[in-house]
Amino acid sequence: MTTQRAALDGIRVIDLTVWFQGPVAAQHLADFGAEVIHVERPKGGDQGRGVRSIKALPVGDWNQYFLVINRNKKSLAVDLKQPQGREILYRLAEKSDVFLSNLAAENLAAWGLTADALHAVNPRLVYAVTSGYGRWATATKPAFDMTVQALTGLMNRLGEPGEPPIYLGMGSGDAFGGLLGALGILIALQQRRRTGKGQIVDASLYGAQLLLAAPTLQAYLATGDARYARQRSRRTPENPLWNPYPAHDRWLFLCVPNDDTSYATLRRVLGDPPAAREPRFASAAGRREHATALVDALDPVFRERSAEDWTARLRAEDLAVSPIGTLRDLAEDPQAWANDYLLETFCEEVKRTVTVRGLPIGLSKTPGRVESLGPELGQDTELLLADLLGYTWDEIGALKDAKVIP
Amino acid sequence: MSRALEGLIVLDRTGSFWASLGVALLGDFGAQVLRIEDPAAPAGTSDAAAPRPAPWDWESELAQRNKRSLVVDERRPEGRAIVEALVARADVVAIDRPLPEVLASGWDYETLVKLRPDVIYARGTGFGPKGPDRELPALDELAAARAGMMPLLPQPGQPPVYPGHGSMYTAVMLALGVLAALEHRAESGEGQIVDVSLLAGNMYGASLDLQAYLAIGGERLLAPVSRLDMGNPMSGTMYPASDGKWVTLTMPDTGRWWPAFAPLVGIDPGDPRFDSHEKRCEHNRLELMQELERAFGTRTAAQWRAAFDEHQLSADVIEDYSYPENDPSAYRNRYLLDLPHPSLGRLKLLGFPIFLSDGTPGLDRLAACAGQHTGEVLHDWLGIDEDRITELRSQGVVG
Repeated sequence: MTTQRAALDGIRVIDLTVWFQGPVAAQHLADFGAEVIHVERPKGGDQGRGVRSIKALPVGDWNQYFLVINRNKKSLAVDLKQPQGREILYRLAEKSDVFLSNLAAENLAAWGLTADALHAVNPRLVYAVTSGYGRWATATKPAFDMTVQALTGLMNRLGEPGEPPIYLGMGSGDAFGGLLGALGILIALQQRRRTGKGQIVDASLYGAQLLLAAPTLQAYLATGDARYARQRSRRTPENPLWNPYPAHDRWLFLCVPNDDTSYATLRRVLGDPPAAREPRFASAAGRREHATALVDALDPVFRERSAEDWTARLRAEDLAVSPIGTLRDLAEDPQAWANDYLLETFCEEVKRTVTVRGLPIGLSKTPGRVESLGPELGQDTELLLADLLGYTWDEIGALKDAKVIP
Repeated sequence: MSRALEGLIVLDRTGSFWASLGVALLGDFGAQVLRIEDPAAPAGTSDAAAPRPAPWDWESELAQRNKRSLVVDERRPEGRAIVEALVARADVVAIDRPLPEVLASGWDYETLVKLRPDVIYARGTGFGPKGPDRELPALDELAAARAGMMPLLPQPGQPPVYPGHGSMYTAVMLALGVLAALEHRAESGEGQIVDVSLLAGNMYGASLDLQAYLAIGGERLLAPVSRLDMGNPMSGTMYPASDGKWVTLTMPDTGRWWPAFAPLVGIDPGDPRFDSHEKRCEHNRLELMQELERAFGTRTAAQWRAAFDEHQLSADVIEDYSYPENDPSAYRNRYLLDLPHPSLGRLKLLGFPIFLSDGTPGLDRLAACAGQHTGEVLHDWLGIDEDRITELRSQGVVG
């Protein structure tokens, strides 16, 4: 059997992170073949291990919250409150390329894990944090995805006017912050090839979510137009032909440019309903000006057929449209499977194959992989200490006795 | 101070905002990015959906910053020769055109790899390079419609919500894929194709809901759940304050926060209805949400923020875009830039979400006009002399 090469072969990452944003940053590196060591407290480990329910649903017999974002990783359990625990981390830092943490800066300082301290041990180390509000922030409050998303203004502009603001989905901002954390690390590694030196990387959750808002936040910043910041009804679109419509069974997203040729084609596909023939809808300007009337006129027409039926008819005329699917539709989507965006993998915890979020980035010669789901707490501690860090078995025994390692 | 990606040469053949922005992330860190533009292409992307005409082309200023621009007619043999000479010098080529067009125009990997054997070829598509829908148009709306979240986001009974940010994941994935491929190339000398898609970006935006559905199934993750029926009254919830603004809470481990939080909302921490995590999140979950709904309605959002800050609670006010616009820390961290501009007054531009202590990102140049650097690049990169450049210009080969 030949071992397939991976893009990040030979990169070792200390992953001292908890919950989501930090672990998912390291997950991308692990998927590409970096050796990622998830460092956890001996008692309970990463808090993500404790997740028991999601949206009031029990997580079931395997904790998909923790196991998926910590896939392809090793686990080292160590008590960093004890000096011998820190010594283990210093020895690991000496042999690693990247240190990543999303713990509070006070904790890292208290444990002697500042950038200065680790760079003294290994000047080549990339010292990365995924902080809450950024390196030059004054805020000290806790930073969770939804509370930070709330500050950016992203939530406030979604939904129908008068409805509550909308959260983009569990972990939505964390996932983005994680991508930027991984990107920052790889950029710093690239620079190290020239300079021979590590440096500090900070990809904060707040900074990430401001970029996440770019399509509308930048428009708002450029124009000062509050409409970019507010909720907007689907009944008042700029282009009524680029809008969700309710088909008989579910919604579809129509994406047709507001020009006369496209409108003529659309009318034909829709069976040229009288409501769409009104003179006020004859020009692009008229359709924009009377957008609400046109949406109201088209709604009942779309309700006459299924989303599937409309999609086939519209696409046959080269008009862009898609049924608006649920997560169930996505789970069965051949397109997602064909591109490895969904994968099946074996779950040790329940001894069966499970479906996981797959590999969102394709690399043709060194594709990412899912070789194992998240590790058991501390499963690699002894071997890492013995083989990588050169501890003798007597020393390891003493560390166990002192409860520095489990 | 050196730049992190100094010396890296990137040819940018992207047209969409998101793909161009992904390439701009490389330029922000010092890569030399050259846009290759067609003579017929309009300058900049249009902003047809703007409620009000923008005083400046914000899409371009954001997505095309730190790039040079060269206009060349590659249907002419002399033009194609210029493109091929540039590809031979390029570390990275980024492209987001539809797959058939890429093939027809000779910008496919198989063609380019003959010119530059270790090229990294970053390809953005709507739905990935394989599968039955690989040629569907690369529109974020279509990808969002496929990613499963739109029906789930609103309150029950409301229309599906198009969030509009899915392509931003894809933009960062493009840069991340290129960096991973560069790491491999540095070790092996080998280039490859990097594939990113709007579908994958939107799917990763939905990461936890999607993964929960894959593992648990059931109906609760297919349709909206009322905000007053969340699993944990103190986490992932929002309540209206007395002034119409909203507050939101994320305190998943309620036991840690309850002693400080309960008195703020007028509940005795020892209230036997709510004195354990199980009672708060299972037995009396709905009752607690109603209590909180009442309590938050008694004070303004600003008063709540002060209370949250005082007790360092994981809770905040749901703001609009004027909040980051006026937040000094957003500028101090350079997440937002406020730049003087000779003719436009000031530009408020999104900055850099990643801080590097040594390889600091920067804004070296604003978006270029089409063809602004044609002469410079032909001369400095390809060694073509001024007379020949003038000749190529007069023949309409370059612009």
